[in-house]
Amino acid sequence: MEKTDDPAGAARGVTAVPAVPAAPPVTEGRTRPSGVRSWPSGVRPWWVGAVLTAAVGAAAVLGPAGTRWLEHPAVEAWRTVCLAITLQALPFLLLGTALSGAINAFVPAGLFTRVLPKRPALAVPVAGAAGAVLPGCECASVPVASSLIRRGVPPAAAFAFLLSAPAVNPVVLTATAVAFPGNPAMVAARLLASLGTAAVMGWLWLWLGKEEWLRPLLRHRHTGHRPGHSRRTEFLLGFRHDFLHAGGFLVLGAMAAATFNVTVPGAVLDTFSGSPWLSVLFLAGLAVLLAVCSEADAFVAASLTGFSPTARLAFLVVGPMVDLKLIALQAGTFGRAFAWRFCTATTVVAVAASVLIGGALW
Amino acid sequence: MKRAFQNLLPALTGAGLLHTALFTDLYLRYVKAGLRPLLIASGALLLLLALTSAATSAGRRPDDHGHGHPDGHGHDHTGTPRVAWLLLLPALSLLWYAPPALGAYTAARANDKPVTVQRGFAPLPATSPLPLTLTEFTKRVRQDRGLAIKGRTVRLTGFVTPAGRDGGWYLTRIVFSCCAADSQTVRVRMYGTPAPPADTWLSVTGAWHPSGTLGTATAQAALDVRDARPIAPPVNAYTDDLPLTPSS
Repeated sequence: MEKTDDPAGAARGVTAVPAVPAAPPVTEGRTRPSGVRSWPSGVRPWWVGAVLTAAVGAAAVLGPAGTRWLEHPAVEAWRTVCLAITLQALPFLLLGTALSGAINAFVPAGLFTRVLPKRPALAVPVAGAAGAVLPGCECASVPVASSLIRRGVPPAAAFAFLLSAPAVNPVVLTATAVAFPGNPAMVAARLLASLGTAAVMGWLWLWLGKEEWLRPLLRHRHTGHRPGHSRRTEFLLGFRHDFLHAGGFLVLGAMAAATFNVTVPGAVLDTFSGSPWLSVLFLAGLAVLLAVCSEADAFVAASLTGFSPTARLAFLVVGPMVDLKLIALQAGTFGRAFAWRFCTATTVVAVAASVLIGGALW
Repeated sequence: MKRAFQNLLPALTGAGLLHTALFTDLYLRYVKAGLRPLLIASGALLLLLALTSAATSAGRRPDDHGHGHPDGHGHDHTGTPRVAWLLLLPALSLLWYAPPALGAYTAARANDKPVTVQRGFAPLPATSPLPLTLTEFTKRVRQDRGLAIKGRTVRLTGFVTPAGRDGGWYLTRIVFSCCAADSQTVRVRMYGTPAPPADTWLSVTGAWHPSGTLGTATAQAALDVRDARPIAPPVNAYTDDLPLTPSS
């Protein structure tokens, strides 16, 4: 449909992709006196390199065509989906970063350690169940989990919270019940499989996890309120920084998800629905690539009518825990070394949990 | 200079959110209407954040910022992470270069929205042509054993999606439950006229195109077009609603 109120002609100069890498400014930290390093910047050189290469390639191919390519239906659909994912997630990301800033600046150190059970192995399921109180999408839980770690919560418990919060909160469970009318087993299965995955991942971290995978900032927990500084200023600066940081990664993840969303035709989906095993793996992979918000994924799962309930359960369990925008957010917040290990393990555990619960129920 | 820039990003993002959700209806191209209050609140919060931190940092000495640690693991909340510059794209795009709502390109590729099973159909009103949504029409054709739709002239609205190489076309609507990333298509096949340009919004009058047994799943949701006239696209394109005003 042709837009009428869109001042496209006036803004032809605003190119979408190539403008990205041209923008990175001088990093703050590099110009500071030694010993005052900036917060380790989220973008590693290879990121910038990859984006630059892609942009130069795209510009070389598309440049001769001017900005007409921005109006190609596929590119317009890509831009729309990209903006849609960003807009949908921004309020929840803001909520998450505001909460995380407030936890850092206002919550007294030691509060969480007093509330949680002393033994980390017990703290994991408690933190996982506590995920039910954070309403909203998965984007909010990443900054909150990071600030929990900085406030002294054992990483294993914070990760259980990170995984369970977007999947077991009342908003998401209600949406699931609405999307699968007359099928309360799906809601129960989602709740059980998600809680189980979160707890197993927490215990797995206690068993195998290494702190050096985390970014230095999270290993050395000396953030939060510092005597002599205004709490309000700390909150403002922390909030602004966390939002900008997570927001950038959100856009990156949205771009990746939009790419898959626009290029993978829906008809591909049905080719995998025949085989029970392949279909579980396929829908789990699809959940990662599509990056649908956890409040909406039940409706998407409900529309995948050709697939078995177990495969759809895998879609619902994997989606809120691992997807492209979450991988980007986690790589930025916790570090890349952590993100790829954690996301791989989570996917495996989540698929296993879905198959177990699905097999028991259906 | 740097300080101005690091408040510029939240300010621009906030302005973009307010522009799409408060001053215009652009947000309806991307997310559902219910998100509007959250978008407005987020926009206002971001603007407030930019203003207060600009005011706060203006009153402080620059060397108050970096509270470094001798062990080299200090961090500093005042810098703008490089990845944050990606936020410029949605912000500028929302302000000056908003892409249109999803159209025929997506409709041709997205999954079909499953039509729910309805038991028992009320009698159809006597008006002719009878306005129906694409979903209602599909249900009447494929599920209504009473065959109430037989011989009736109906009016459907939607946009044109070409059906492929054979020159056929569908009247389509895109619906989603959360945002444009989870879109699904509702479609009715059109017969009897050559395909209008893709993405044209039309009000189509016609009768069921006999193919399969009416009232069973073998029947095709299809229409013999008698009249098709362009209409203005609805403000919220992602619905399968009846037009609020008669478009004739």
